Amino acid sequence: MTSFRKRTVQKPIRGTRTSPHTAQVITSSGNPSLDLILGGGLPIGSICLIEEDRFMTHAKVLVKYFLAEGVLSKQEIFLGSLDDLPAEMLRRLPKPLTDEEVEQEQRQEQEQPADKNGLRIAFRYSDLPLVNSEQATAKIGHHFNLMEHMEPMMLSYAQATIWDDNNKANIVVQEDDICNSTSSLEPTAAASGDEAAPVVQLEAQSTASNNNNNNNNNNNDNATTDSSTANNATSTAATTAASANESASATATASPPAAQPHFFYNPRYGRLLDYLQLLLNDESFEPGTNVQQKNLCRVCLTSLGSPLWYDEHFAEDLLKFLTILRASVRSCTAVCFITMPMHLIAKYETSLVPKIRQLVDYAIELESFAGSERETHPAFKEYSGLLHLHKMSAINTLAVHMPETTDLAFKLRRKKFVIEKLHLPPELQETSDQAAAADMMALPNCSANMPVNSNVSMDF
Amino acid sequence: MAASVLLACGLNEQKLPGFVHISEESNVDGSFLISCILGQRLRISNAGTLLVCLQHHYQHYFNAGMRLGYNTNIFLDKTLNVIDVLSDMARHGLSSKWLRSPDGLTLTEQLVKDIRNQLANNFPNRSSYTILIDNLSILFNLGASKQQVQQFCLDLADLAKEHDNLTVITKLSNSDIHQLTDNNVAKLGHVRIQVLRLKSGVFREVDGRLLIERVLDEGSYACEQSRKEVLYKVNDRNVKIFNPGEIGVKV
Repeated sequence: MTSFRKRTVQKPIRGTRTSPHTAQVITSSGNPSLDLILGGGLPIGSICLIEEDRFMTHAKVLVKYFLAEGVLSKQEIFLGSLDDLPAEMLRRLPKPLTDEEVEQEQRQEQEQPADKNGLRIAFRYSDLPLVNSEQATAKIGHHFNLMEHMEPMMLSYAQATIWDDNNKANIVVQEDDICNSTSSLEPTAAASGDEAAPVVQLEAQSTASNNNNNNNNNNNDNATTDSSTANNATSTAATTAASANESASATATASPPAAQPHFFYNPRYGRLLDYLQLLLNDESFEPGTNVQQKNLCRVCLTSLGSPLWYDEHFAEDLLKFLTILRASVRSCTAVCFITMPMHLIAKYETSLVPKIRQLVDYAIELESFAGSERETHPAFKEYSGLLHLHKMSAINTLAVHMPETTDLAFKLRRKKFVIEKLHLPPELQETSDQAAAADMMALPNCSANMPVNSNVSMDF
Repeated sequence: MAASVLLACGLNEQKLPGFVHISEESNVDGSFLISCILGQRLRISNAGTLLVCLQHHYQHYFNAGMRLGYNTNIFLDKTLNVIDVLSDMARHGLSSKWLRSPDGLTLTEQLVKDIRNQLANNFPNRSSYTILIDNLSILFNLGASKQQVQQFCLDLADLAKEHDNLTVITKLSNSDIHQLTDNNVAKLGHVRIQVLRLKSGVFREVDGRLLIERVLDEGSYACEQSRKEVLYKVNDRNVKIFNPGEIGVKV
């Protein structure tokens, strides 16, 4: 018997590559500067939590990047939300830039004069290369133009599943059943309502979706009709929706929410998980198998834990859900991107914040200047907000990748969302002398994680 | 690779104390300790190990172990047994036995039952046995109450007392939030390792602090206890330990 063995090289999954730093398979988050902070991209099986800014402007942009990257890489997409209209979000994804456009953009940026701010540089420094505070863009993922929407033709090839929990009246009544509280809704609505799993619809018109939210009893029929009447642009997607619908009803008969009493007090979580696991249990997402159609699933949940999810057992349910979600995402070739209004959750229960952060792999807070004093502050005039890295955990490895600096700021330019190293202007104007100086002292620095009233000495 | 951290924690010997508790503050990752201990136990011939995966999958420990220079797959189902709760939940979804409690047992009771079964099957053939539980706070997340977790740890401590050469190692995250449970569980054993963040912020050359408390002699009137504090840095393939004052800011 010979010791020769034919080496079988596994084909990489579309849109992924192996990280040279950690030897893990990573995929782009859609935003090159975010990728760089994460060490090249999101590792397969990881959950990235974006702690929303107050007005939910910038978190949504990152979500769009994440989804657009999935569409372009022909990966499977799962988008779930109660607050937004998922179909509408999908329709407004940014347009990808061609290589020529990217090159042209980079060339333009390089050609910008150094003294654009009216600053003159001493001659001894003039030969030095410019410090590029924008994180260098390695060749990962794609570049997108936020000004334009993705072409419908491109979207039609998207393998997307969306969840917006259309049978909301049922939920209210079921909640009431559990909580034993009175409801203004007629109980017959629940009795006659379909027990089927939530509707998946890809052809979602905003008005139609609003109507769907109100008309809950004919969800499945509506969805099928919606899917069948989908236009050419979403024909493929509609097929996916139809198949997903079929399989969803199969799940519902196998394990309907009524058959799982009291695990989640709020049955929405159960339904969302059912749907998600149905998708993730697909053969193409099984790790290690050498299936030809091996693919990556991008799970995106926006505004999870928003007031629409509130009930008496909100904290319990949310933690259970995240624990099971983490287990599911880790076990297959998927990445998960969640946005949460953490400022609201912190008001609901302060201890919930670290517990949630413990259940995700990356926790990134977007602190927007909009509506705050810093919006007009001269020190921050270049930026839209600060980016705080609260957690980066080592998955399938020992050490975690740490970016060059944790003092980061973001700016929403016309065409793109950029994360940069936080640079302060060389000198603040004299008009904002003392207040500015006081604020400057309060800037995030290496001691950003220090307790506020900590007066202890250094640890080392 | 991990010898220095184990030496600092006093866990580098063949015979370990009966109950060891690792407390992990919020925003700190102490998973490297589990990987280090696992590697040390697997290297001892004929020593059995049971890994209860609540926070990470088995695959994570395998990959982390490869970085530390050992291959868990070689020992799997021989000297290493795994209860992978997460994988089971992922495979069976909401109908998983850990979420459904089919026998009327609570999650913690089910876990104790499985651990006892594993122990009954494997302990007689091994010179020593170690049960590693990572981590207890997931039990809270899955709906276990404080009393249930406390009872679970008490049962484990009883197991350690019942059997010679049996060590139970538990880890609890967010110990600053679950402070009461953390202290109560730590009281069950003689060694407590606290993984703490740096009070002064983030430092590139140090990840955090390890505070090791060891009860030397629990007398009738006084308890003799030793405390040691070291700084740690988790690198790609090893864990480095520094004494406070050893490392400074390089200007």
